[in-house]
Amino acid sequence: MEAIEFKVKWGMVINIDKCTGCGACMVACQAENNIAPMVDGSDKRMTLTWMLVYELSNGKPFPEHDIAYLPRPCMQCGKPSCSTVCPVIATTKDEEGGIVSQIYPRCIGCRYCMAACPYHSRYFNWYDPKWPAGMEKTLNISTSVRPRGVVEKCTFCHHRFMYAKEKARYNGEDPMDLPEDAYIPACAEICPTGAIVFGNLNNPEHKVAKLAKSKYAFRLLERLGTDPQVYYYSEREWVRRQGDNYLPHEKTKGE
Amino acid sequence: MGLDRRGFITFLVGGAVGTLFTPVPWKLADDVSIWSQNWPWIPKLQYGARSEAPSLCKLCPGGCGLSVHKVGKRPVTAQGNKNHPLSQGGVCPLGSSAVQLLYRPARVKGPLKKNNGRFEAISWEEAAQIVADNLKGKKIAALSGDENGSASEVLAGFLKLLGSDDFYFMPSDAQVSQRAWSLMEGKGQLGFDLENSDYVLILGADILSSWGPVVRNQKAFASRKGKFVYAGPVQTGTAATVDKWMPVYPGQEGVLALGICYYLLKMGKSASLKNFGLVRDYILSKYTPSVVEAKTGVSAAQVQKLAQDLVKASAPCVLVGSDFGQGSGAFEWASGILVNLLLGTLNQKGGLVALPENKVITSAPWRSELNQKSFLKFLDEVEQGKAVDGLLVYEANPLYALPQPEQVKTVLEKIPFKVSFSTFLDETAMACDLILPAPHFLERFDDAYTPFGVGQEIYSVAAPVIEPIFSTKSTPDFILEVANKLGVDLGFASFEEVLQAKAESLGTDLESVSAEAYTSDKWLAQNSLSLPVEILATGLETEGEGVFLAPVARNYLGNTKQALTPFEVVVVKEFELQKKDFYIQVNKNTANKLKLKQNGKVKLQGAGGECVARVNITETVMNDVIAAPLGFGHQAWDEFAKGKGDNLFKVLSVKEEKGSGLKVWNRSQVKVVRA
Repeated sequence: MEAIEFKVKWGMVINIDKCTGCGACMVACQAENNIAPMVDGSDKRMTLTWMLVYELSNGKPFPEHDIAYLPRPCMQCGKPSCSTVCPVIATTKDEEGGIVSQIYPRCIGCRYCMAACPYHSRYFNWYDPKWPAGMEKTLNISTSVRPRGVVEKCTFCHHRFMYAKEKARYNGEDPMDLPEDAYIPACAEICPTGAIVFGNLNNPEHKVAKLAKSKYAFRLLERLGTDPQVYYYSEREWVRRQGDNYLPHEKTKGE
Repeated sequence: MGLDRRGFITFLVGGAVGTLFTPVPWKLADDVSIWSQNWPWIPKLQYGARSEAPSLCKLCPGGCGLSVHKVGKRPVTAQGNKNHPLSQGGVCPLGSSAVQLLYRPARVKGPLKKNNGRFEAISWEEAAQIVADNLKGKKIAALSGDENGSASEVLAGFLKLLGSDDFYFMPSDAQVSQRAWSLMEGKGQLGFDLENSDYVLILGADILSSWGPVVRNQKAFASRKGKFVYAGPVQTGTAATVDKWMPVYPGQEGVLALGICYYLLKMGKSASLKNFGLVRDYILSKYTPSVVEAKTGVSAAQVQKLAQDLVKASAPCVLVGSDFGQGSGAFEWASGILVNLLLGTLNQKGGLVALPENKVITSAPWRSELNQKSFLKFLDEVEQGKAVDGLLVYEANPLYALPQPEQVKTVLEKIPFKVSFSTFLDETAMACDLILPAPHFLERFDDAYTPFGVGQEIYSVAAPVIEPIFSTKSTPDFILEVANKLGVDLGFASFEEVLQAKAESLGTDLESVSAEAYTSDKWLAQNSLSLPVEILATGLETEGEGVFLAPVARNYLGNTKQALTPFEVVVVKEFELQKKDFYIQVNKNTANKLKLKQNGKVKLQGAGGECVARVNITETVMNDVIAAPLGFGHQAWDEFAKGKGDNLFKVLSVKEEKGSGLKVWNRSQVKVVRA
């Protein structure tokens, strides 16, 4: 499939060495995107976590053991596996900015995209969303509420992109040339250690453009050819090595 | 011209094909898909104008600034406030769920009175009358979980005017550090200027997960000038990110500090202590490298390296604290202070600093005085027959968050009149005679004056961002009302006036301090310090029997005041909680020793109770230590927290510390049996 080249490509560089695994990004994401709370969160096949923090281990016994946390949003792949398999064009990558869309009313819940996504970034609404009495008054106006039977995923808080573009137009600025912090998703904004950096990967003035070129930067399962717009950064070799399926004799990227 | 069969079919097929060239079928298909998902039981978005209001998070003592985003009059999300000097735009998972807590099912919707074991709704007038009647001429005590708000000052001042000294804070490192600092004849409140340090050594305190002003710690870490080194028993959020993690047995951070002191003294370092010679000789003779190595599990060479690295740094800072934020003793704190004194960093940029105090209620004791008193000691006195007629509980949940809560419950039953001012139906509120709910902090005026752990004097105030949803009343306002009824004058008519006075005492005013926090660079010079040597003896005591327990506090598991919030439920990891069972964490080595299997059910037995858990084998924990999360096992609250896991506070064992008389529970040991 021919991939579309965008002038603007929103992306993240997540510094794993700065992530304390506090989970603020996961909570901020739920509040921002109207994800209903769940009473039991221990069955991870049923939970909706557009942003999910994984715990990584270097696999060695104590005291050589090391630990790291990896926050995982949608990778917004340059060549997405999900949109190509969608039978009803409910998920596409066709808008300037390079965010993979998810159009809930079109989704028929076949879950092909979930099977196709190598990052487990997509979630299925097994149940109708249910808020405790009164809590629906805290619903944000950013994101529509999804019924059961549809697939959903992280959209890089696309509504914030729209607000930023609107604001730029109103101020007579170019909406396609937003400055560094004009548009930033909820998770990146709230992160207490600044582990998540967000910006336009194609704009050399944005921090992400420089960070993504670092020798310590890597992407998850890079060699699948999905071309993710989310980069990770770690100076620890064992962390980078877990980013892809390396053969024993292969060198880790960045070494 | 008639319509024949062929013509009719041509017309139908042609028509059908023709409509395909119009947008009609596509529009219809699209509409059907939308209509079919417009289900009335799914809430619709209520649109309105978007706005932001600055606020202050009161869910923990960290004092983070919030920016509450609103749609019309409704707050929708709690986001970071970039202008706040402490949190600088960051928020922890608890603070991030602040808005949704307005509608947490466990909220108390109005004043309640217990009648034969059942709660009945009463009016606020009735409530004020009952409280006034029960306080008049009686012996009253109060417990507050708000360690830096003026509400506690109002409560303490009120109690003093009623002739009672029994005002207590919930136990925390803030309290213990103050006790240790006073024993050393220090003045003011201790703090750590992490922002300007180029070598931060953290002993015990899990500063990037839960300890102290956690978001500010994370910000200081993110913009660090040099190294952060962490010594603790478990690889938590702090260990995952700092430059170096050193495993040390739980509760041994004080011994490790003295181990470092040993090498600093050997290097010829000195501290301006009245009894320095005595202290030096004591440490050099008792805390020898081999003793320290045996106690802490850190090799002598490593301890020496730490001492050398600290000396090399230009602005080193040593932060000692309990790995779960409470239960440590004056020993740990005095040892930690001593390292800083030997490094000569007291009141230096990037070092240990002494911050000023402030109060506006004349009758209230200073915060440093209030922090000398221990609630657990008070419980002992009550158990031994001290007559107390009433207890007021504000922002605290002692029946859940004190060690051995079952015993706490038995003692508190001796107090005939108990009032809870809790916003939520927690364990303590359930056991009280009256519940007089305070509004959620977004619905009331509140403040935070210099949260413990920060390196500068700071005052933040928040005005309400939403009208109270339920029939609640600001507790300090209620206290002022009752004081009025009893003819007791605190000097203020409303809580807002108290905040105004506080702002003015700092040379600012309520309006500007609500918009932007007040800060100063005042550090208190110290005259003559000393260190009673008997405090240093605690570290040499022989340990009891059992395996060391390392409780782990993380803000995504709730904290001592707030149970697991609805939005935090999915953040809890699968190896921390499965349905109703919570997990203890041990490494393979320890598991083999104790004959534990992955997912096996075990009972932890402490001195005063036991709890049931499952086993997760992970190498994140050091040898011979059991790590387990605090925050599970609630018996009240709502379906999001109730009945999930077991309460680890049940197995923490309390000891009395010699020299300070404090109660400590940071070196709890447990027995593990298969259940």
